[in-house]
Amino acid sequence: MESPFIEEVLSITLLSLRVSGLAVLIGALAGVPIGTILGFKRFRGKRTLMRLMDVALRSFVNTLMGLPPVVVGLVVYLLLSSSGPLGPLRLLYTPTAMILTQLIMVTPIIIGVTMSAVGGVEESIREKALSLGASNWQATWMVLREARMGLLTAIIVAFGAAISEVGGIMMAGGNIRWFTRTLTTAIVTEVELGNFALAISLGIILLTMAFAINLLLTIMQLRGVRG
Amino acid sequence: MHFHVEVRNLCKDYPGKRALIDVSFGVERGEIFALIGPNGAGKTTLLRILDLLDEPSSGTVLFRGAEVDYSIKDRKDLRRGIGMVFQRTVLFNMSTFDNVAYGLKVRGMSEREIREGVKAALELVRLQGFEGRNALALSGGEAQRVALAQALAIEPELLLLDEPTANLDPRNASIIEEVLSRVNREGKTTIIMSTHNVFQAENLAHRIALLNEGKIERIGAFQDIFERPHRFLSEFARLENVFSGFSKATPEGTSIIDVGNGLHIEAAFERSGSVIVHIPPEDIILSTRPIVSSARNTLEGLVVQISDLGSIVKLKVRSNRDFTAQITKRSFNDMKIGLNSKVFLAFKASSVKMI
Amino acid sequence: MSKPKILIAVLIIAIFATGMLIYEQQFLLKPVVMLATTTSTYDSGLLDYLMPKFETKHDTRVRIISAGTGQAMEIAQRGDCDLVLVHCRDLELGFVNGGHGIRRIGIMYNDFVIIGPMSDPAGIRGSSNATEAFAKIARGGGRGDAIFISRADKSGTHMLELSIWKRLGMDPSNKSWASWYLAAGAGMGAVLRMANEKGAYALTDRGTWLSFKSQLANMAVLVQGDKILLNPYAIILVNPERHPHRNYNGAIALAKFMISEEGQGLIANFTKGGERPFMPIARNLELAEALGFPNQRDELSWYDARPQ
Repeated sequence: MESPFIEEVLSITLLSLRVSGLAVLIGALAGVPIGTILGFKRFRGKRTLMRLMDVALRSFVNTLMGLPPVVVGLVVYLLLSSSGPLGPLRLLYTPTAMILTQLIMVTPIIIGVTMSAVGGVEESIREKALSLGASNWQATWMVLREARMGLLTAIIVAFGAAISEVGGIMMAGGNIRWFTRTLTTAIVTEVELGNFALAISLGIILLTMAFAINLLLTIMQLRGVRG
Repeated sequence: MHFHVEVRNLCKDYPGKRALIDVSFGVERGEIFALIGPNGAGKTTLLRILDLLDEPSSGTVLFRGAEVDYSIKDRKDLRRGIGMVFQRTVLFNMSTFDNVAYGLKVRGMSEREIREGVKAALELVRLQGFEGRNALALSGGEAQRVALAQALAIEPELLLLDEPTANLDPRNASIIEEVLSRVNREGKTTIIMSTHNVFQAENLAHRIALLNEGKIERIGAFQDIFERPHRFLSEFARLENVFSGFSKATPEGTSIIDVGNGLHIEAAFERSGSVIVHIPPEDIILSTRPIVSSARNTLEGLVVQISDLGSIVKLKVRSNRDFTAQITKRSFNDMKIGLNSKVFLAFKASSVKMI
Repeated sequence: MSKPKILIAVLIIAIFATGMLIYEQQFLLKPVVMLATTTSTYDSGLLDYLMPKFETKHDTRVRIISAGTGQAMEIAQRGDCDLVLVHCRDLELGFVNGGHGIRRIGIMYNDFVIIGPMSDPAGIRGSSNATEAFAKIARGGGRGDAIFISRADKSGTHMLELSIWKRLGMDPSNKSWASWYLAAGAGMGAVLRMANEKGAYALTDRGTWLSFKSQLANMAVLVQGDKILLNPYAIILVNPERHPHRNYNGAIALAKFMISEEGQGLIANFTKGGERPFMPIARNLELAEALGFPNQRDELSWYDARPQ
């Protein structure tokens, strides 16, 4: 195959990785602390109002976990559009807009999975650390450390959702060739053009990449089990 | 002189339950103080308050005469002199070395101090060479010994233990008891422990507090408390094979005790009147066939409960009264015992101990 | 995780993020013209063939958003592109009359054809009257012989189809049509493949037909050449008064390139599947006026008068 083709596939693949990778990274930086706070049982208030708010917040996060990507893409589009409130930032149809879309999509997933992972690591770990003289921060860090399998699962799930997503980045990124075309949007375009063989090849690249990254994360997870 | 640890009029209320009611006592420096009581008596609640994990609803806790103010800093500073071993063994998912080193690390000690501290603590609980093993892969007894090493590594002035040998086989339990009496003797460490095992309390503790339904019923030396039968002991659900009854001396110098439900037990002491007796589970011989032996007491019953404790298995056998017998895992497997198996029990008159 | 490991992780993230910003800058350095167009236009491959020539010549980057006609117009109306290349007269005029766009000029046309199964159960083959062919398909559908697949996605193609039904006084949303009139709600390529599978009739632009022809073994062009099937493409600039931040001059430059002798020549010579799907009209005033660009002369001289 001619080299411009390979160059284009390479740039598409790198963009996919860059957008989904950064979205998950930033999502993790925001989602893990929030999920930790929500996951900790001791933050659950004793008063009815606090408990109601807690339940509402959890349900909200769980709802956001199921947000349809196209809806997120549309909201981001309307926000970043020249006629929208964030229009002056001129971010529409850029990779940044795509990252933002996927960020909105994956953060609730990361929060949700972190929440249950941290909630699953018993309060006893925190108390054990405290009783050995740890500060509150050190004890919280220990809980996160014990919940690390769950945190990795959060990252794996979020990355899987991000890398395979089409509708949202199509809306916010515009599927512009050489600029915002990712593996998934390229597949849509190639299918539309009737280039099924090329679409399948791109699909295989996507799958291989997702597999490689999951393999890496799973190896990390298995090493983590051994401590 | 102040008490090392003192509590005054301590109360702890949970929604719908009063866990501690007006508890007051003081523990001297270097003393071993045992809390004895059935499940739900408030032992764990009291220890958690002493470890500053929970705040009392009312009342005060004093360390060396100074009242605890429950600020985050005060809690942390005080806790750094306290080691705690929880009833349910909790270890971190890391190596045994890192587990024991944790308390030293959070105190900002040097690598060398940590290495030495961990080595000493593991030697104390006789787990040298376990450093590299993942703590979660240890057996129940080893894990509890690591938990004890964790608490000992920080060289605490006060050691709190919540039923440290519950559900441990006798070998691991005796190692832990030995370590406790050694650190108390050599390091003058004050120890407050809860236990359901009266003999452990007798062997280890200088003083004992009987805790029942959130209240202290009695405090004193073992002899003071157990010299005469105490109503409380009959409610002592967790202590196995404890029976109260009326004893009649026999001409042979033994006694026949009527423990109710048509069951008579022969004991090797001579006593008439009300008694409370205890038969250690490990002294009961268990068989699937009728036993012919010199043992004075033989019974027949059905297995109603099986507790697997690793190398040993505890069986609850229902006869005229319920008995707990203890056998090795191997003989348990060999005898092919299951629930509702018919078994025979035998124990010597000398195994029947009066308490 | 120990402290050095965290530091390394943070460092990697920082390098990654900076690298991305630098990468983005490379695109921001060059002026960018944002063109919104319809999926069928983009899928024809014409723009991928034309734009690199414009980009080299003007040292500019053209970014193309391809969307349904309705969405493309909406994007332009919100000021999210600099110009549009579309082919739906009613929407175009509404866009200009609403003050959203200016300087509408005819660029080229291609034509629509009615395709159907070789067996042609409705008997429309060879006709050059699209309206009559539609009437025959409807009759065939009523008999249970014919199936028609509609884009049903408010695309230019769909709009043309609706206008033909309207001429016949027929309404496709009529419930009794449901047995043979399939509203696909899909792109042109997908509809063509569906038609091939089901042996159905469909209205398609010639460009998409040409690119899919080799995959559609059972299908043939049955009706073509009717004047109402001609499909003229227009360029409209986004009104700079409405959206002053847009790259107005870049949009003019791109439009000028498209209507230049060079651009028109390139369009005429663009081939696909051995055929030439687009005919230039920008400088063919008579034809342009006949195809719905009454002001073609004025617009052409306005563009030509703009400095390069």
